[in-house]
Amino acid sequence: MPTATAKYRSAEGAVTLNQIGLNCDVRISGLVGPGCDRLRDLGFCEQMQLRKLSNGRNLVCSLCGARMAISRELAEQVLVAPLQ
Amino acid sequence: MSVASEAVPTIALVGNPNSGKSTLFNALTGHIQRVANYSGVTVEIKSGDTYTPHGRKLHVLDLPGCYSLRAQSPDEKIALDALSGQYPDTPKPDLVVCVVDSSNLERHLQLTLQVIEMGLPCLLALNMVDVAEKNGLRLDPAKLSEELGIPVVPMQANAGKGIIELKQALRHPFPPPSEASWLIHDQKDDIELLRRDFIRRLCELAARRSDSHQRSFSDKLDAIFLHPFHGWLVFGAVMFAIFWSIFSFAAIPMDWIESVQGALGSKLETLMPDGDLRSLLIDGVLGGVGGVLVFLPQIVLLFLFIGLLESSGYMARAAFLMDGLMAKAGLSGKAFLPLFSSYACAIPGVMATRTIDSAKERLVTIFVAPWMSCSARLPVYFLIVPLLLHEKEGTWKQALVLFCIYSLGTVSAFITARILRGRLGPEASVSHFVLELPPYRSPQWSYILRHVIDRAWAFVRKAGTIILGLSIMLWALSTYPKLPGDDKTAALAHSAMGRIGGFIEPLVKPLGFDGRTGTAILTSFAAREVFVSSTAILFRVDETDDDEQTRSLLRDKLAAAEWPDGRPLFTPLSMISLLVFFIYALQCLPTTAVVAREAGSWKWAIGQFAFMTAFAYLAAFMVFQGGKLMGF
Repeated sequence: MPTATAKYRSAEGAVTLNQIGLNCDVRISGLVGPGCDRLRDLGFCEQMQLRKLSNGRNLVCSLCGARMAISRELAEQVLVAPLQ
Repeated sequence: MSVASEAVPTIALVGNPNSGKSTLFNALTGHIQRVANYSGVTVEIKSGDTYTPHGRKLHVLDLPGCYSLRAQSPDEKIALDALSGQYPDTPKPDLVVCVVDSSNLERHLQLTLQVIEMGLPCLLALNMVDVAEKNGLRLDPAKLSEELGIPVVPMQANAGKGIIELKQALRHPFPPPSEASWLIHDQKDDIELLRRDFIRRLCELAARRSDSHQRSFSDKLDAIFLHPFHGWLVFGAVMFAIFWSIFSFAAIPMDWIESVQGALGSKLETLMPDGDLRSLLIDGVLGGVGGVLVFLPQIVLLFLFIGLLESSGYMARAAFLMDGLMAKAGLSGKAFLPLFSSYACAIPGVMATRTIDSAKERLVTIFVAPWMSCSARLPVYFLIVPLLLHEKEGTWKQALVLFCIYSLGTVSAFITARILRGRLGPEASVSHFVLELPPYRSPQWSYILRHVIDRAWAFVRKAGTIILGLSIMLWALSTYPKLPGDDKTAALAHSAMGRIGGFIEPLVKPLGFDGRTGTAILTSFAAREVFVSSTAILFRVDETDDDEQTRSLLRDKLAAAEWPDGRPLFTPLSMISLLVFFIYALQCLPTTAVVAREAGSWKWAIGQFAFMTAFAYLAAFMVFQGGKLMGF
């Protein structure tokens, strides 16, 4: 059975929000999966900068000065890239 | 509708959750709508009136918060319907005030752009500018206004700053609808992409943010409060401290109320001749209403603590922590907020389920919400718990018992939710846990105090209306028809209430109660607090001028009450059975009516009432009979 990561990973080498370490500053490179619309509504849009603050069942990240908690399943749909 | 009322323009406050819409609404209208520091507090449309500096009247609508016009949850759908003029009995707004959190412009402006795209006249209220400045954001309201093509008013609604400027901006004629400039040249492109690009450019011009992430005070607190181990320690400590404080700090004002009651009772005894009127005033009114009013300080403290938790931002953290536990019950952490609200009162709790995206999860949350012990149950608990432990036991032990009572209701609710969720089947679409964690803020004392006074007044009003009426009725039923002689026990047995009690007794005897307790339970289906008044009247407690004696009289009387064969009536086992009955019984008709409306089905509401009443009976039966079999 494919993992969620494999399911949603679109570009070679892209990592999901789940995969990065704590306190990493990254930029959202893409959103892939059924939760895209909800994520965009919440502000998880391409090119947005975010920092992952905690791991666990739900993740906490800082996005444009706001702290958002999202489930791991949703975080799996957020593809991120290191800041240039 | 009259011509005059048609001429009053309607303005709607729209914005993301927790952007300060209700705070602004309160500042504009003078209302005291509920505000708190977490998302999803407003779940229905609130309306009020305000006046421009030129004296023009405006009708203001406070809409539930939404992240976009792509409605997902029932509260978001209400906001969307109101904006498009499709919400029943609500006029289409003549002007939309988009309330945004200035420190989160990149996220909040998306909704503003969507409102502009709808072709509605619009104004931007740039709220919480103080927070934005503190976070190092450089705001340029003039540039924002120029780029968006709408008036922009910087403000800080919780401090009343910018309200006058906003009212001035609301003067007639309203600004015309702005053109969605980000769509004009690229009609064929992805609209969301165009919006995002526009917002990014706009924020670079008018709301520049420092690139470096600074560890804020909220981040530091979250490192403890959201920690998988320390977070739970803090949560347990906070909850226990609340229960302990309610028991220990309320004792002083309770003594004051009892002193006044005692003095009133003795005054009436000396002023009035012996007779039915004196008995009505002392036994019926003072005994019934006073018996409930004495718990006012504890109710006030409960609402004060709930207000502090809501205002500080801790509630969202508690919901985050609870998500794992709630998942075991088939619910998500978002269901925690409505359930926690139900500790104050099930009605706002049931309504708060509108923030839950999943329809089935929402139904299940509505079903179990009344098992969160509400404030109406507190007078019953406060009467029985000290009797169970003996009043000399420390307050921490009483707090521990109260904590266990709340836990029993909560755990039972979770187990029932788990079973029910399984029976309702899987969701048509998957919903995920998403929660905004607001920054910690110092409590808004003025709002909290006004809210506590409001709830205290509601409690007093209930005591002065429903409870007073029922107390008078109970007094009459327990006094007439009269029996000659001074034997109070025989007189009560001869009265209408005595006969009702005799009829009920076979039904409640297996739970360990006599006819009088059964009758008091029956009356509590009108309002739970009536149980205390009924007990005071049915067990005939006389008021005295000694406050300590007055306070202990009801409990002494209950402790001394006996069955006809001389066995004590209120044993520890029968008192636990009574507590269990009150934890589970749904004795609140307004809650049933609200459940029917929110679930969209009277069958669901009646089913809930029947299930909870039957469950309460069976649980109390099992506790009492099981305890007896075990030799208690």
